[in-house]
Amino acid sequence: MDLELLYMNFPYFVAIILFSMGTLIVLTQTNLIKKIIGINILQSAIFLFFITVGNIHGGVPPIYDPNLTDVLYINPLPSTLMLTGIVVSFSVTAFALALIVKLYLFYGTICAPNFMKLK
Amino acid sequence: MVSVLKLPFLCIIGTLIAAFCMPVLARWKRNLCAPLATFVTGIVFITTIVIAYHVMNGEPIRYAVSGWAPPWGIELVVESLSSMMLMLIAGICFLILIYSFSAVKHEMESNIIGWYYTAFLITMAGMMGLIVSNDIFNFYVFIEVTGIGACSLVAAKGTRQATEAALKYLLLATIGSGFILFGIGFIYMITGHLNLTFIAAELAEVKDSYPFLIWTALSFFTVGFGVKSALFPLHLWLPDAHSSAASPSSAVLSSLVVKVYIIAFLKILFIAFGLDIFHETFIRHLIIILSVIAMLAGSFFAFVQIELKRRLAYSTVAQVGYVFLGIGLGTPWGLAAGMLHIVVHAFMKTCLFLTAGAFYYQTGIKKVNQFAGMGYKMPITMGAFTIAALSMVGIPLLGGFISKYGLALGSLEANLPLVIVVIIISGLLNATYYFPIIGQAYFSQEEADGHHDQNSHGHSGEAKKFKLDQVPLSMLVPIVILALGVIYLGIFPGILLNFINKTVTALL
Repeated sequence: MDLELLYMNFPYFVAIILFSMGTLIVLTQTNLIKKIIGINILQSAIFLFFITVGNIHGGVPPIYDPNLTDVLYINPLPSTLMLTGIVVSFSVTAFALALIVKLYLFYGTICAPNFMKLK
Repeated sequence: MVSVLKLPFLCIIGTLIAAFCMPVLARWKRNLCAPLATFVTGIVFITTIVIAYHVMNGEPIRYAVSGWAPPWGIELVVESLSSMMLMLIAGICFLILIYSFSAVKHEMESNIIGWYYTAFLITMAGMMGLIVSNDIFNFYVFIEVTGIGACSLVAAKGTRQATEAALKYLLLATIGSGFILFGIGFIYMITGHLNLTFIAAELAEVKDSYPFLIWTALSFFTVGFGVKSALFPLHLWLPDAHSSAASPSSAVLSSLVVKVYIIAFLKILFIAFGLDIFHETFIRHLIIILSVIAMLAGSFFAFVQIELKRRLAYSTVAQVGYVFLGIGLGTPWGLAAGMLHIVVHAFMKTCLFLTAGAFYYQTGIKKVNQFAGMGYKMPITMGAFTIAALSMVGIPLLGGFISKYGLALGSLEANLPLVIVVIIISGLLNATYYFPIIGQAYFSQEEADGHHDQNSHGHSGEAKKFKLDQVPLSMLVPIVILALGVIYLGIFPGILLNFINKTVTALL
């Protein structure tokens, strides 16, 4: 096993682990706020993944500088795409929290299994 | 005169602008919302007909948004299948909006109506954007727009069940789109492009270098789109969301929203990955197995439901299986029949959900065992229900027969004759859960008489009398048009098949 390769691709592993964690939290936790936190972890993992895809080892931020010639700029496109991703993540979170507030008004609890008992 | 190239773009933008005018308008004059939304959708429908006419007689429309050429900018592509889907979306939405005139007032609180139309138009714009876009990141954006719009359509009902179902839908849909976004990331990693055409050219060259990455990307897309379009083991959100929403919302969710994701999946699978990867990997077998399970299990689950809308929702799970089967077969007839089933199912399921809403409007019934004597109380609505249900079963001369026949031909082409047995069994299962309702409605009189006797003895004979429906005309007209559409599709499927085959021959 090439440790150097493992070290270079370290962010990908983190992204995959965070993604799995997020999915697991959404599917298994019963507390609705924890589910929302799971959604956010899942989406942050995707942001991390995209930014890692755009990264180049030894590259500099893609801001044009006339003094620096012959430098390697990193790919800015995936990072910019993630701006849209962050906006989407924000709106989904806001919408989900609004629904949870409404559910709390109906049931007086935010724990999903209690809904069944209260019906 | 605007160039025809700009029309798809203008359709989406116009719908979105109308959507955001709705809440303001609702604050000023609430009664104007419904006519304006219907008017905008009607114009969009006429525009889509123009687009379809242009595409059918010429080349596909390719439009670079705000002048940026394809590898950098966003490109909109309308080939013949997309133009047909655009026409279907605008047409069905138009009919549902006409239906909404009186249905929404009956099923929702009056201060929510403006927001309902906002959610409806946003969902419609998202669906149209997803259909015409040729850029996979744009896919993700429109998937989220459609998803959030659809969730708010469910939540607009405002009841406990609807709110709970909307949250469940939102969480699972977000997981689904997360998977899709991850898949897009993998594609971008492999090819460095986001435009479908360029991805296809790049993947054809480098596909042998990255076999594992391509598998991973494919599986992420399959799970993501599977959750979004309710492929069987991932369908858990669908029955709750579709049965607890108001009936016009259920109609649009069930007939259009789950289908546009399938079209997007089809584009990624056949245009971006291409036929070589489709046949080399085992994705095809996976889709066929899952869809066969969906066709059987969806029908079984539908059979045990008592609530009418829940039964229809589970029936959607089974019908999504048919469409996926068409994609999995991957033969000209199979694929064409799958796409035809999208159209036919949109007509049938919209008709069924709208009639379910009409039954609830007049008599307040929700359960399938309360239909006794319905054929006499509401002859027009029940007639439309019967036509759509028979088409669902696959009776000849109705739309459902053509697509099932096509799927059977497709499975012969793909050398899988056993799939025909599954199609027939699924059709028979459909019969077992629709025929009792129809039989009860037309042939069972005892229960209705007994019910009348309890109330007043003098009126016991009245239930047998033939009375016209007591629902408003704005609810009856869309139902009748949809039922006639189902019959028309069954007798003259040729026009639609022309549209579909033009794209299918280009894909295969």
